[in-house]
Amino acid sequence: MKNGLKKGNSTTRMLLAPYSLWSVIFIVVPLLFIAYYAFTDNNFNFTLENITRFFTATSQLTADDGTVTEVRTYLMIFMRSLKLAIISTVICLGMGYPLAYIMARAEEKTQRIMMTLIMIPMWMNFLIRTYAWMTILQDTGIFNSILGVFGIDPVHIIGTEGAVVIGMVYDYFPYMVLPIYSIMAKMDIRLIEAAHDLGCNSLATLRRVIFPLSLPGVMSGITMVLIPSISTFYISQKLGNGKFFLIGDAIEGQYVANNLHFAAAIAFILMIILLVCMGIANYFTSRRVYGG
Amino acid sequence: MKKSASRIYTAIIFAFLFAPIIILLIFSFNEGKSLSVFTGFSLKWYKELFNDANTLEALKNSLVLAFSATAISVFLGTMASVGINKLRSRWYRTAIDTVTNIPMTNPDIITGISLMLMFVFVGRLFGASTSLNFLTMLIAHVTFCLPYVILQVLPKLQQMDKSLAEAAMDLGCPPLRAFFKVELPEIMPGIITGAIMAFTMSLDDFVISYFTSGNGFQTLPIRIYGMTKKTVTPKMYALATIIFFVTLTLLLINNIVDNEDSQKLKEAKRIQKGEKPEGDYNPRKRNMALALAGVLVVALTFGAFSGSSASKELNVYNWGEYISDGSEGSFDTIKEFEKWYEENYGEKITVNYDTFASNEDMYNKISSGAVSYDIIIPSDYMIARMASEDMLLPIDFENIPNYQYIGEDFKGLYYDPDNQYTVPYTYGVVGVIYDANVVDKADIGGWDLLWNEKYANKIVQFNNSRDAFGTAMFKLGIDVNTTDTALWDKAHEEMIKQRPLVYSFVMDEIFNIMQSGEASIGAYYAGDYFTMMEDQADDVDLQFYYPEHTNMFIDAMCIPSCAQNKELAEIFINYMLGEEAAVANAEYTYYASPNRLVYENETYIEDMGEETVEILYPEFEDFAAEYNRYAYRTLSTDMLSYLNSLWETVKVN
Repeated sequence: MKNGLKKGNSTTRMLLAPYSLWSVIFIVVPLLFIAYYAFTDNNFNFTLENITRFFTATSQLTADDGTVTEVRTYLMIFMRSLKLAIISTVICLGMGYPLAYIMARAEEKTQRIMMTLIMIPMWMNFLIRTYAWMTILQDTGIFNSILGVFGIDPVHIIGTEGAVVIGMVYDYFPYMVLPIYSIMAKMDIRLIEAAHDLGCNSLATLRRVIFPLSLPGVMSGITMVLIPSISTFYISQKLGNGKFFLIGDAIEGQYVANNLHFAAAIAFILMIILLVCMGIANYFTSRRVYGG
Repeated sequence: MKKSASRIYTAIIFAFLFAPIIILLIFSFNEGKSLSVFTGFSLKWYKELFNDANTLEALKNSLVLAFSATAISVFLGTMASVGINKLRSRWYRTAIDTVTNIPMTNPDIITGISLMLMFVFVGRLFGASTSLNFLTMLIAHVTFCLPYVILQVLPKLQQMDKSLAEAAMDLGCPPLRAFFKVELPEIMPGIITGAIMAFTMSLDDFVISYFTSGNGFQTLPIRIYGMTKKTVTPKMYALATIIFFVTLTLLLINNIVDNEDSQKLKEAKRIQKGEKPEGDYNPRKRNMALALAGVLVVALTFGAFSGSSASKELNVYNWGEYISDGSEGSFDTIKEFEKWYEENYGEKITVNYDTFASNEDMYNKISSGAVSYDIIIPSDYMIARMASEDMLLPIDFENIPNYQYIGEDFKGLYYDPDNQYTVPYTYGVVGVIYDANVVDKADIGGWDLLWNEKYANKIVQFNNSRDAFGTAMFKLGIDVNTTDTALWDKAHEEMIKQRPLVYSFVMDEIFNIMQSGEASIGAYYAGDYFTMMEDQADDVDLQFYYPEHTNMFIDAMCIPSCAQNKELAEIFINYMLGEEAAVANAEYTYYASPNRLVYENETYIEDMGEETVEILYPEFEDFAAEYNRYAYRTLSTDMLSYLNSLWETVKVN
């Protein structure tokens, strides 16, 4: 018996060895490189300058009425990115949750077709899709032409925060729907029936049974939308008319300017902030799922 | 009632999801070049697409990469999932879960940069001439695809009845066989979903590829991102449309296959209940269908462009859309060169042609030591910087007899005073483009048109620091190469003043924005003005003028010090200066040529039209003096980072 257990262990190790090795070399070590670059200068001497620059660099904002306020550049950029990312995530959740619910309750064949339809746009690279949105949202674009047909005045969308949010919602929507859907599809239908039998109406069932059960899917959906939205640089360039400088733009800008060390520093700080946020979120949701 | 409500909701969501796809579809049939002005129905971009070896090559690369990354990540991921499922050590389990989560909870840009930093570092350590290549991109893609595979496969394993495999083994089945016979069929749906997700992620990715791409292997998104000199054409939309329909077909096939799968499940349940199975379900059928679909795509992609295997290779690194490439019946420079070389030297040769989006983009790749090219075509200020950093090789002009046709004006300029490193390719002058239907004649003439409050929100500005600040400095009469930070601050003030008037910060987006009348005023290159004019909307009348003092640029062919085949590079440069290639490139790019064989060529002047030539080749009393004074020069690292922080505050506002 003891022998058998040992044998099982060695197979497990053999199965895990390639993946563990891969993860260490291509996931963990590269992150150490980010840290290494973040804390060194161009000659690879230790420095804290890159890190302090992130927190202390200031710039002057001029409002339309000419008043000037001084802000911390990168902290402000980060807050702006966070704001847009949170708005996009909330919209994705609001739009995606009902869809995932509808999908999970549809016939099996319909489920598969819907899933396929959600994924197809992603096969065209997101650069091309974002370009197409430019055509739609321009002042003289498709959307405003359609409004014009109905006699509605054109709406200025492109170059506003709204356009950036639309781009983010569009590009990352599937990442919200898929994890929620896959949890809901697996949900035990008897639980819902039991809730109904016990006198819950639909809304109460949703709130007290379905939603708590789907929380892990919601959490991974939120993560998978929030993370790419916060760090995007292409969407803000194309749909924000280059006017919404986000943290991703800052990193890319420093990379293009060949300031690899400062780019690494911004990336490093962003990574730490996100890890802490995710850690906190996971802590609370896992307590709710298992403890509540 | 409820059902119809959910139907309407679903319909609205899918309308949103497919709106851009429909736009792609419509504009892929546009007769004109524009992505915002539809001028008529035409199939020409599909024809163009199939004649465009570079784009097809990029498509092939994208597919090869996606297939390989999927195969490897499915294999590794499934193996790992089986291992994780068997794992008893809590500590190991937590560690593995955490690491698996990293690529998903880490922004792409961090994953991309971190891998790039490591590859470059390791490449330098081993003195490799090219550390970024297909392999590094593959590694990067496998790395971010793996978690998706594990996430799909592991739950299936956990749901599975463990006693099944144990029973098989008790009955004498060896473990490996038990896995293939019992476990694998059970988790197959998870593996297939995982594979589809991995494939999708790989095709959709741009950011990670951007940082890890290298020599001779550029994928579609890298090409598209590099199309900054002109702009994305409907050709890319045609490509997307084709991908759309191929995908649709493939996934439908997969769905039919999946249907059989669920039939099998139902049958299995019937057997469990002791009922007789009906129908003859053949599990092999589905694997065959899947394999067939895969093989079909691979065969199609490879068959379409049978690769030539020549011993000699020339690696060229140029701006996107910056060479006559055979589109719209033009001269296919690269192909013709390969043919010409074989005829004259009796040897086959392959030209690997890669593109970059900006001088800085190119400089980063080359200076990282991660790539190796034989020819690059940077702009003047970048040439000066690279020459001062010993990144360029002196050219042996004995091998370039056609250099004699380069106009005297273009020799001995500041970036290469002793004519050692460069052979000029194109030059251009910045002017102001405006829509005569919007802008009053009285307001034109100077730089201050870009600051005219009358046209608030109709003005576009460059989306790069040097060119944008340049417009302010020309307006104020400041030396664009000054080292006095106070003067830069003054220009910065001017930029802040302009900022509320600016509709958009643009690079190649300017083409569509000006053509459609979204914006009416912008500074850009004369050559691009003509490209825009070709496809302007009916109610737009684009005009052009040169302000009194303005920036000039020269892009020149150089041989970087990482070149592997210098002599071949010189032969190529000489070929580029030949009449046929030079005229074709000048007509394609619409920029002015420093080559006498071009600007004195009568068919060229006729093709372009005399008025066009007049604007493209403005007269200068003393070109060299004017150029040396107004062209952008390399700034010191300190100045550059000062400028960069000024620029960030302009953008942040």
